[in-house]
Amino acid sequence: MILTEDQLQNLLDKSLAELPRGTEWAVTLEGSIAEGFGNPSSDIDFLLVARSEDDLPTMPSLLFVDGRRVEIRTRSVRQLADQFRAVEDGAKRPGRLSEDLLNRCQRFLHSHPLRGHALVEEVKALLPVERFREITADWWAHRARQSLRHALALLCLGETDEAVDWTRSGLVQTVKSWAARVGETYLEPKWLSLQLDRAARADVRDRYWLLEATAPAPGDTGAAHEYLTAALAFAAQLGLTGVPQQPERITVERVNGVTTWQTGDRVHVVRARREVFALGDDAGTVWRSLVLGRPLPQALAASAATGVTEPGALLATFLRYGLIRLAWKGGGTITPSLPLAAPPGPVTPPPSTARPLLSVRGAAVGGPRAVDLMPLPADRFAAAAMGLVWANVVVENAVEDLTGALQRGQWRVAELTTRRAVHAALRGLFSAYGVNPLPADSDLVRRLDLLPAATGRPIGEGAGTLLRRTVDAPERGDALLADLRSFIGLVRGAVGADSFPLSFESADTWRATLELGYDWLRIGAHLDAELPIEEARDLLASNGAQPHRTPAP
Amino acid sequence: MSDSLTVLVTGASGFVGTEVTARLTAAGHTVLPLTHRTTDLVRNNGRKVTAGRGTITPVTGDITRPGLGLDDEARRLVARADRIVHCAAVTDFGLPDERYETINVAGTRHVLDLALAHRTPLVHVSTAYVCGERDGVAREDELDVGQHPGNGYEKSKLTAETMVRKAAADGLPVAVVRPSIVTGASRTGHARDRKTIYPVLRVLTRGLVRTVPGHYDALLDLVPVDRVADLVTGAATRFDEAEGHTLHAVGHVLTLRDFSDVLAEYPSFQVPRFVPPTAFSADALTDRERPYYRRVIALYETYFRRRVHFDDTQAAAFVRRPPATGARPYLRRLLDDCLATGYLGPAPTTDRPDGSTHR
Repeated sequence: MILTEDQLQNLLDKSLAELPRGTEWAVTLEGSIAEGFGNPSSDIDFLLVARSEDDLPTMPSLLFVDGRRVEIRTRSVRQLADQFRAVEDGAKRPGRLSEDLLNRCQRFLHSHPLRGHALVEEVKALLPVERFREITADWWAHRARQSLRHALALLCLGETDEAVDWTRSGLVQTVKSWAARVGETYLEPKWLSLQLDRAARADVRDRYWLLEATAPAPGDTGAAHEYLTAALAFAAQLGLTGVPQQPERITVERVNGVTTWQTGDRVHVVRARREVFALGDDAGTVWRSLVLGRPLPQALAASAATGVTEPGALLATFLRYGLIRLAWKGGGTITPSLPLAAPPGPVTPPPSTARPLLSVRGAAVGGPRAVDLMPLPADRFAAAAMGLVWANVVVENAVEDLTGALQRGQWRVAELTTRRAVHAALRGLFSAYGVNPLPADSDLVRRLDLLPAATGRPIGEGAGTLLRRTVDAPERGDALLADLRSFIGLVRGAVGADSFPLSFESADTWRATLELGYDWLRIGAHLDAELPIEEARDLLASNGAQPHRTPAP
Repeated sequence: MSDSLTVLVTGASGFVGTEVTARLTAAGHTVLPLTHRTTDLVRNNGRKVTAGRGTITPVTGDITRPGLGLDDEARRLVARADRIVHCAAVTDFGLPDERYETINVAGTRHVLDLALAHRTPLVHVSTAYVCGERDGVAREDELDVGQHPGNGYEKSKLTAETMVRKAAADGLPVAVVRPSIVTGASRTGHARDRKTIYPVLRVLTRGLVRTVPGHYDALLDLVPVDRVADLVTGAATRFDEAEGHTLHAVGHVLTLRDFSDVLAEYPSFQVPRFVPPTAFSADALTDRERPYYRRVIALYETYFRRRVHFDDTQAAAFVRRPPATGARPYLRRLLDDCLATGYLGPAPTTDRPDGSTHR
């Protein structure tokens, strides 16, 4: 140790002097110094053990004694016994065994008693050190397997550099497993070099450092492959099992809560029922080629058969975003984690900034390979899309009504119908920008300030004028109709023809709009989204027949 | 064993019949499996049925013929049967009426004649869908309530069950088991016989028909084949308790919304849009969709409209087993099995409109 017994006892005396008196403590030195590592700036970690059943606080007290940082923790015998029992119980499922728990046990088992030696040794005997070595070695081996399997998968997908990094993680974890088995159970990898020196196997140590220092050139698939092969050979030599270099043992699996919904040609993937990803055409094609349960190389071959280039990169994106998971046959989900880090979990990319966001045919995307996260929750996304479809229907319906009212000289009806059409067009405009819930009709023009000024201002002016228009003669009626059509054209121009596909232009376009409406209802129902109004369902249910109009032949 | 029974099982090579045969022989009973041609009986798990603690004496016959077309020796064997379990039926949809009449109606007539001749207790396998096209609760003690059968199959099964009821009224000891839609095994989802819902799933998930008339709240009851076989076997072996009862062999209740949501979990599957039947027109389908619609979907679409729930009070009291739970996980098991065996999956370049497999 870098400190002598006298130095330690002296530090302990001074530390205890700063604590309230009363309890009879056994005291033991934990951490890097007790392990035989450490340096002059290392902390001094004292653990105070009480022969009691109490729950003592986990938070350490921090002291500064003789220029050293001293941490004092307290544990009751019962708490320590509980820790050992939890480690034993969790040993069969190393993937679920927490690093923190393992670390606490390791630190205590390898501590150096300073007071109450008998009590410290009595508690240490609760978990034989040989058993703890096995548990720690298995724990590291489990992590090594995950990292190396993940590296194998990434290499298969063509994500070369990422595969190299995970190979390197797997190497650390493998050698830590080996070291634990020979007694070097200290968890932190920062003293690995000293652990390997102490383990007295120069061949293992030298081979490890050689591999650790190997750096395949970025993007060099062959070199990455060789690196993984060498790492796996070394791992096998150190006794790691369960990672044959067989990517066909990796399968593509479903993630709970991930669903696929297509409207028109646009593929939308919902994650955890909360977030929507809109896929560009190539990304959508590769997504659609995925047959769950198939081996990864087969899935990759199927995606390549679609003609999309570099499909592996897209599959890797799906994996990264948690839209699919990978499993090892007989080994469960591959859950890689860096040494002493939690599994990273699914990545959430920055949300899409596309404007407008929506058309009746689906969300806007940044390009054919896009996997774009929608900037609003899934249920409001679906509600906005249904709002857009519904606005479309109402605009067309109101224009028809206006035509009829003008023919019969029903001027007041014509004025109201015009307002209805203007409001519906504005609601469609807002919906296309992902605004949901919508402002009240009376507030729609004012709230155009939510939209980019270049879009909002001219449309606001046009809407304001139309909403104030009166009619009292046929020629003013004709002008109103023309101006309304021109206003709708302005909105169409702002959001794109896909958002307002001129539903009544022909039977085919009308049917296409209705089908898109049903498609959105389908996803809306899945997400329990708000329907625009109950009439929307009625209208869809009646195939667009309007109660007060004769159906078109 | 002293309480060993001799049981004639018709349709013994069928989806349910094989499983019933396997259970009876495993329990130490003598089974006379009636098949059209002498053939190995293959269970749903792909293994041959072998005699368990009981024996199996195959009988060749034809239920469409009077006396089941049995030869003298077979007739003597059958005369000694303690039970008849009548599983034989044609369950495909869209066949000419004569086929249903010959197999499901006349076949039952011939089985009844045989049972009446020796007053042999009969377990008749019907269908829960004798309830016809209606919404609400269908009870086990109801039969002909003036319902409208959804198709020729249902009509024939209603007629057959009515005949069985009449024979019961005339003194024949009878128990009726009514399965809903018989699908894959509870645990694995595997089905060797992919009829009923399966071709529909095949056509829909491949996007061969994308618009289907139906209500999202329509109910489909899928019952695992093992649950049906357990109930039929139980009715035969504990006949004293089953006699005079009609037992609904039902399983997992799924709405079309459940189907839609679960299908959406599979990236490669197309999810159909269900539209209100009043708004649907086959003429509006594309030329590519229409043949698949006519040959597959149209035969089954009656089931996409019904909101019928099968009460199974009597069956639940009889089986002494908890009801099936986890409808969506069960549907996933069915779909996973179909994917694993290649029944579902990406469409081949040339597809047959009847949804049949290429072998």
